[in-house]
Amino acid sequence: MATLYYCYFLMTLLMKIKSRSSIMMMSVLVIIAVSALFVAFPEGISAQQDENVFVTHSGAVVKTTGEVLDPLYTSATVEFDPMEYLRDFNYGRISQLDDGTTLREFTIIADDDKIMEVSPGIFFNVWTFNGTVPGPTIRATEGDIVRVNFINNGSKEHTMHFHGIHPAEMDGVFEIVGSGGGQFTYEFEAGPVGVHPYHCHVMPLEEHIVRGLYGVFIVDPKESRPAADEMVMVLNGLDMDFDGENNFYAANTIPFYYQHHPIQININELVRVYVVNMVEFDPINNLHLHGNLYNYYPTGTDIVPSAYTDMITLSQTERGIMEFKYEYPGKYLFHAHKVEFSEKGWVGIFLVNDNQQDKKSESVEYGS
Amino acid sequence: MEVNNKSSKGKMIASGVIPFVFLIILIAYIFGPGSELLDLGVPLPEVTMEKVDFLDSEIQVTVRNTGPIPVEVAMADINDRIQPAAVEPDRYLERYETALVRIPFEWNEAEPYRIGITIEDGTRFEKEIEAAAPALEPSLELLGFFAIIGTYVGIIPVMIGLLWLPFIRRISKQKYHFFLALTAGLLLFLGIDSVEEALEVSDESLAGSFNGVLLVATVLILSFLGLYYTGEKLVSRVKSSRITKPVAIALMISIGIGLHNFGEGLAIGAAVGLGSIAFSTFLIIGFALHNTTEGIAIASPLSREKKVIGKLVAMGLIAGAPAIFGAWIGGFVYSPFTSVVFLSIGAGAIFQVIITILKWIREEGDKNLSSAAVASGFAIGMVIMYLTSILV
Repeated sequence: MATLYYCYFLMTLLMKIKSRSSIMMMSVLVIIAVSALFVAFPEGISAQQDENVFVTHSGAVVKTTGEVLDPLYTSATVEFDPMEYLRDFNYGRISQLDDGTTLREFTIIADDDKIMEVSPGIFFNVWTFNGTVPGPTIRATEGDIVRVNFINNGSKEHTMHFHGIHPAEMDGVFEIVGSGGGQFTYEFEAGPVGVHPYHCHVMPLEEHIVRGLYGVFIVDPKESRPAADEMVMVLNGLDMDFDGENNFYAANTIPFYYQHHPIQININELVRVYVVNMVEFDPINNLHLHGNLYNYYPTGTDIVPSAYTDMITLSQTERGIMEFKYEYPGKYLFHAHKVEFSEKGWVGIFLVNDNQQDKKSESVEYGS
Repeated sequence: MEVNNKSSKGKMIASGVIPFVFLIILIAYIFGPGSELLDLGVPLPEVTMEKVDFLDSEIQVTVRNTGPIPVEVAMADINDRIQPAAVEPDRYLERYETALVRIPFEWNEAEPYRIGITIEDGTRFEKEIEAAAPALEPSLELLGFFAIIGTYVGIIPVMIGLLWLPFIRRISKQKYHFFLALTAGLLLFLGIDSVEEALEVSDESLAGSFNGVLLVATVLILSFLGLYYTGEKLVSRVKSSRITKPVAIALMISIGIGLHNFGEGLAIGAAVGLGSIAFSTFLIIGFALHNTTEGIAIASPLSREKKVIGKLVAMGLIAGAPAIFGAWIGGFVYSPFTSVVFLSIGAGAIFQVIITILKWIREEGDKNLSSAAVASGFAIGMVIMYLTSILV
């Protein structure tokens, strides 16, 4: 408008001068100016009929005529289901060897072409063991023979490197498995007791890990641990823009997932969480539990807890077992107390149910 | 004969059109459906955050898709921390399409913020704001504030500069040429200043796909040519109208300066709007001193005229008032593209005026631009502007 006034002002002035050519000159100016304005301003945003509503961090309710960009309070329609992964333990195909030892066979297929929706509307090329990040949780009892038939269907070389005790040739470092169907059979005696990671060990190692080629390997003691509601949490991150910094953090890959899908547990029931930190780039990660403290068993190798705390800090592939019971019902947060990570997705809720009959999950029977 | 004429005309049109036809076929072949010729490389998405407004408990970001492919806005963050947000009208952005991302956030005034937008492939784009300042809502009070600022930096200094007219009037022809050359020097500085400013804005806020430098060059040259043509017409017709050649030149100068001051006003308004300027009295004094010299530029050609007071006031307004309009537009509806365009138009106008003045000195004087008066005037003009610009 102001420009138009200015032009009008000039025009009236020039009318007094009464020169045709000056008017012409002005009209050239006006045309340039007006067309510049039209090109420059963002097109008007047309209002729509339907309104969406979302809640902010501070609890305010905001209305919008557009779409909600909200990884926090809207659920992702992601293919990978962290709730299913949480309590999914794979005991393998079981058979007995001649000497009576239990043999557990697993088939693990590596791929590196999967595009996964990792957060609402954000798609990322993850590299996977058996199609998910993290890969399947492999579980055996101490002394069992673990046999993993590994097939590499990816376009790059991959291996499986288990943390634990095994012969050198089963370490998955020097025995590179070729792309496009390469095979290798890892076989070793399960041990020691505890919770261990497994991951690809092909260079560039950082890339092969952060893209998703890792999972959890649990070795149970022969004399079983007390019955509990057991779950696995892999603390991980995703570097979406390849700048050497994680854009997302999570327990079990999907940011904020357990915040809008709280993990249901029962009052006074023992909960056992197998926690493995697979975050790269950042030197530490941690787990803080609200309204409670947990017994912590580093690496799960000892049956006596080393700490009774609500905060444990973990470095790369550091892991342990956390055991706790809730005395009071309600919603309790758990998250990284490196709160940058929790603001980028590593945050969840335990919903403690008062009534035993309300229990949604079946506690997995130990050591089947 | 007629038939012959017609057929030759037809041939002429055909010969003009045929290359176009081939060109269209070529483009269709390369880009058309089924063509895999150019299926090489990976087009990288790009979005540009053109504008960030800090409202009550909310940060609003105008996002434009400035890349070669459509994108989807997927996530927003403040200082690299994910925030719930909304995108209006929707998250799908075609090339050059814009959307408004609304991020509810309890921000603190005068603190720096980094605004991040993540698109569907996980690429994150960031814009840094030096100091958050409440978005300006058009109000009469603010309108008045900008008018006052514009008056201080635009109108009053130019008018003061015009007061040198009686002085310039009493001096010899030599000294008069000195002042005309001084004017040209002042203007050359202003022109370079405008170009620099335009390049700076395009570098900071304009997406690469706008080809900032070439946009400035194109608009500048169009503005120069447009004004040069109309200016020549104006000057050549002075005999048939009431205005004389000096008046015509002074008018051209004031329009050129007006366009420049409009750009200056835009910059001031935008700076206030974006919170990156603390408006001190010192700054206003700097602008005022700097702009006083613009008054001399207008006064010089008019010094050989009589009964000029009315014209002088009018021209002072033409040169100075746009600062007010610029401040309004810059403060309320800022867009970096508009800024760049206006600054370039201003620069083109100023360069045209310089040519006009030099030509006039040459005709008036002894067909000579290398006299001591002209050379020293030009040089001193540049130096004065440089020194006063340090104050801004």
